[in-house]
Amino acid sequence: MNITLTGAGKAYGTGEARFWALRDADLSVSDGDFFAIVGPSGSGKSTLLHLLGCLDRPSEGEISVDGRLVAEMPDRELSLLRRDHIGFVFQQYFLNASMTALQNVLLPLHLAGVAEGRSKAVAALETVGLAAKLKSYPTEMSGGEQQRVAIARSLANAPSVLLADEPTGSLDSKTGKDVLSMLVRLNNERNLGVVIVTHDADVAATADRRIDVLDGRIAQ
Amino acid sequence: MTWIILANARKRKARVAMTVAGIAIGVATLFALLALSAGIEQALDREISAMGANILLLPEGCPYELTLALMQGSDAFEHIPMDVLPSVLAVGDVQVAAPVAVGKAKANGQLTSIYGTTDEILGVRQWGIDSFQGAVVGSDVAEKLGVSAGDVLSLSLYASEEIPIEVVLEPTFGRDDTFVFVPLEVAQRVLGLGDQLSAILVRTNSVTATTTTQSTLGRMSDIQAVPPSDVFERLMDLFATIKQTLILITGIAIVAGVLTTMNTMTMAVYERKKEIGILRALGSTRGNVFRLFVAESLVLSLVGGVVGIALGFIATQFLPQSSGFGLEATPVFSFLYVVICLLVAIVVGVASSLYPAMSAARTQPIKILREL
Repeated sequence: MNITLTGAGKAYGTGEARFWALRDADLSVSDGDFFAIVGPSGSGKSTLLHLLGCLDRPSEGEISVDGRLVAEMPDRELSLLRRDHIGFVFQQYFLNASMTALQNVLLPLHLAGVAEGRSKAVAALETVGLAAKLKSYPTEMSGGEQQRVAIARSLANAPSVLLADEPTGSLDSKTGKDVLSMLVRLNNERNLGVVIVTHDADVAATADRRIDVLDGRIAQ
Repeated sequence: MTWIILANARKRKARVAMTVAGIAIGVATLFALLALSAGIEQALDREISAMGANILLLPEGCPYELTLALMQGSDAFEHIPMDVLPSVLAVGDVQVAAPVAVGKAKANGQLTSIYGTTDEILGVRQWGIDSFQGAVVGSDVAEKLGVSAGDVLSLSLYASEEIPIEVVLEPTFGRDDTFVFVPLEVAQRVLGLGDQLSAILVRTNSVTATTTTQSTLGRMSDIQAVPPSDVFERLMDLFATIKQTLILITGIAIVAGVLTTMNTMTMAVYERKKEIGILRALGSTRGNVFRLFVAESLVLSLVGGVVGIALGFIATQFLPQSSGFGLEATPVFSFLYVVICLLVAIVVGVASSLYPAMSAARTQPIKILREL
């Protein structure tokens, strides 16, 4: 799968309150890529990640997925595209506290009526090394384990690209390195495209390519 | 889907409990209303049938009030002169004409319905005896007064009478269980009626002759001839009006339940914005989110429905049973009422979830993620 941004930008607000969070971004992400998006707070890196993840339509320019323009896809098609091809991981794991690790991973699969959801969820948790924690609740797990559950949730439906917004931002350095190593392993072993938004230069150094974003523009 | 709903319910126990309670109260009211209404209808039908007459001869006045007083064993203070009885018996198709004098008097010191009549009553009541000179006591009265056949009953109001008990009736589960039947002249003396009657119960030779006979009897002075079926229909009409009002009130309670549930679900959508945003980001479609909220509301409503039916059942066991026209009405339960109440609960669930579910489904994941 290939996601391409061509002169893409995103503006928020209207009238005098309108501002550009991102402008004129050109970027292409495919299976097997490992990119790090780096920049200070408010620079537009999360907006870039959201556009790559087809969560939003651009205010200018184009985004295409395997040649198809996102702007022309209805909401349902974008949802299915995210479900089947794109995984998301967030800084704050956002797990449901009243569900076990397995149930958290199973939830989006179940709601979407994905076939063999349970076996996919179990396999995803095994991939992140949590086979023994299937029945554990988030409150019974460490921050690193919770983030691994969140990664398993995004991997369960075998996406082509994983987008991670500060995935190590809430973890101590050792746990952060473990999580990062896991993403590197998934990139190598599964040819998974990985895009990480980070402040951390060490994390950025792990990636094959570093993309700096400053004041809403990708630095050349 | 059940495990998702249960997990989400566990997270908001108090809110879920309040929603279930709101629906349960509405459904309980409806269930109790249906069961009690059916009980009252059945009691009216049973009491009017138990009179055993095709025609009631009543004093002038409101026939429905007079009939109710007769069924309740109370003196309506309107009476028929005794001397019309021969004229009634002279009408060709009249097979039985049982004179009746009713009112409340003290029996062994306790206020009791006294029902004075003659052996003619045995033509319209099945007591298993050929005649009576003493008292025939209903089963409830016998139990209340602690008397049995062979004891002497002391009656008093305008006059005092000592009368032996001939028979204690088997329970009929109707008003007869609460009456003391005595010879007519005894009741007239005790109740101070002189030679007046409360009513005359008439049975005709054939059902086809009833209309003609009623018309003939109705032309006599000082009395009116009323078929019990007319009284029953009229009372049922009256009751239907009361029932409609009660159903309206129940409807308002249910609408309040819908609004409460809608409010709860709308608040739940607001509280769960983050969860919805993440689900949408992970590929849940608007339809997936819509169905999740409708299903959650439906399950809560069904639980509320089941709890409401149970509460309604319990409530009917504690409500006074003499609620319908002063008659003893036992609630009647039917599987149909359970189905109606569950259907109402389902409608409440779906109706109250549509707006919040649509609101949840419209959530744009990007808006949520930008706030994270």
